[in-house]
Amino acid sequence: MDLDRYVDVAAEVIDLPVTPDWKPGVVRFLGLAAEMAQLLETVALDDAELVMAPVYSPDAFAGGKDD
Amino acid sequence: MTDLPWAQAHEIAEAVRSGRRTAASVIEATLGRIAAVDPRINAFTAVTAERARAEAAALDRAIAAGAAPGPLAGVPFAVKNLFDIKGLPTLCGSKINRDRTPASRDALLVERLRAAGAILVGALGMGEYAYDFTGENAHDGAVRNPHDPERMSGGSSSGSGAATAAGMAPISLGSDTNGSLRVPASLCGVFSLKPTYGRLPRTRTFSFVDSLDHLGPFARSVRDLALAYDAMQGPDGGDHACTRRGVEPALPALADGPGRLRIGVPGGWFETRYGPEAREAVGRVLQGLPGSGQIMRVDLDAAEAGRAAAYLITNSESAAFHIERLRSRAQDYDPDTRDRFLAGALLPAAWVARAQRVRAWWLTQALAAFSVADVLIVPATPVPAPRRGETVLDLAGRKLPLRPSLGLLSQPFSCIGLPVVTVPVFRPGELPIGVQIIAPPWREDLALKVGHALEARGVATAHAPGGVRAQAVA
Repeated sequence: MDLDRYVDVAAEVIDLPVTPDWKPGVVRFLGLAAEMAQLLETVALDDAELVMAPVYSPDAFAGGKDD
Repeated sequence: MTDLPWAQAHEIAEAVRSGRRTAASVIEATLGRIAAVDPRINAFTAVTAERARAEAAALDRAIAAGAAPGPLAGVPFAVKNLFDIKGLPTLCGSKINRDRTPASRDALLVERLRAAGAILVGALGMGEYAYDFTGENAHDGAVRNPHDPERMSGGSSSGSGAATAAGMAPISLGSDTNGSLRVPASLCGVFSLKPTYGRLPRTRTFSFVDSLDHLGPFARSVRDLALAYDAMQGPDGGDHACTRRGVEPALPALADGPGRLRIGVPGGWFETRYGPEAREAVGRVLQGLPGSGQIMRVDLDAAEAGRAAAYLITNSESAAFHIERLRSRAQDYDPDTRDRFLAGALLPAAWVARAQRVRAWWLTQALAAFSVADVLIVPATPVPAPRRGETVLDLAGRKLPLRPSLGLLSQPFSCIGLPVVTVPVFRPGELPIGVQIIAPPWREDLALKVGHALEARGVATAHAPGGVRAQAVA
């Protein structure tokens, strides 16, 4: 992946300031995240294994979630 | 009672309750200790002396009038500066938050400790916005390790670990998203408890990663951990993730011991991620466990993917939380955190959604290990405190970036919310290192019992600093 170009484009899309001074660090950390994402691909997940986001319960806001 | 500053919380409370000491004298001694020691350690960002004196005087008056003063009567405590303290801006280790309106009310856990008789003496330094394992901070300066001020204190609850290790607060509170209660406990040589995710309410604290954040205590004994933990339990609607389970006190049965245990020691991936000092500490724990039952190697190599999931969820969720500040004040962040936050704001959504699925999968793998073992034993950090400024961790020739790798062994377990007691395993004069006692969800009591038994056998002790270097805090 061309991380350098990705940072330029994605930062512009979400209006995030990435100055030339900061960019090498941002690219480095994005590279580390890409390595982590690759590691996740090695796990064979069944289609039944979901939890795509933290589980939301409207009940929680009434005083805590169920056990 | 042991003399201050090394008296434990339960000893102080007993002395104050019985009238052998006044709360006022305890607080004066503690404030004097902070004034004498903290210039070398830099653990405190605010000392709430006036408030502490007023609360101590009120407590002494109440005791004189015959009131029951609570299980933590007169015990000084301090909190990581992401806890709200009435009248102070909640810094969360940042420059940006100095502009926040002062808090109008204490964090809930501060209120609960106060209700038990404890007295707040100040706010403690931390890594910026809790994104740190080292104890460095560009705005406040590094929190120094009391055992050797030239070494890292560990983060992000750096001030908490250091203040308790240096005899400035027998109890302190911190937070743990990827290891921030366990890394400073390991490097500073004190005990900590990271409860199950959702156990202690985070009401009126400044978040790092909502779906991974935990709060918990540091202390110099397991009994003190249990004392503080019991005083802080109970549901609260101010934290959407807080359990509705009732209070499950750990202190009453602490001394009963854990019974005959099946002890799991993860091999494979874990074994190659720590050095000789950590290996020796694990060996001492295994030898020292009471009536040691079966010790077995367990396969937990799924932790590597679990840790990767924790990394991505942390990076993405924290950056999304900070996005407006990153747009408007990126230049005011600590350079060590800013670039990570900026990168986290750019992660593809598919990576994060997969991280959530792998997190759930990793929990099922870990729970399977608990079908054959009662507790898991893993070092809290790969190595004892590195020297400040070091950037590379060398593990038997494998060179890893130091900053993220200090949390290598803690991160997988907070990711899935398991309760962990960290115990210090070192001899006087050595650099400390901590060992994690990891229990199944909601079994803080078991991890505390194991820690208490190790302490009773002299395996785990929060030795006072002083032997490592001449300038260490005596």
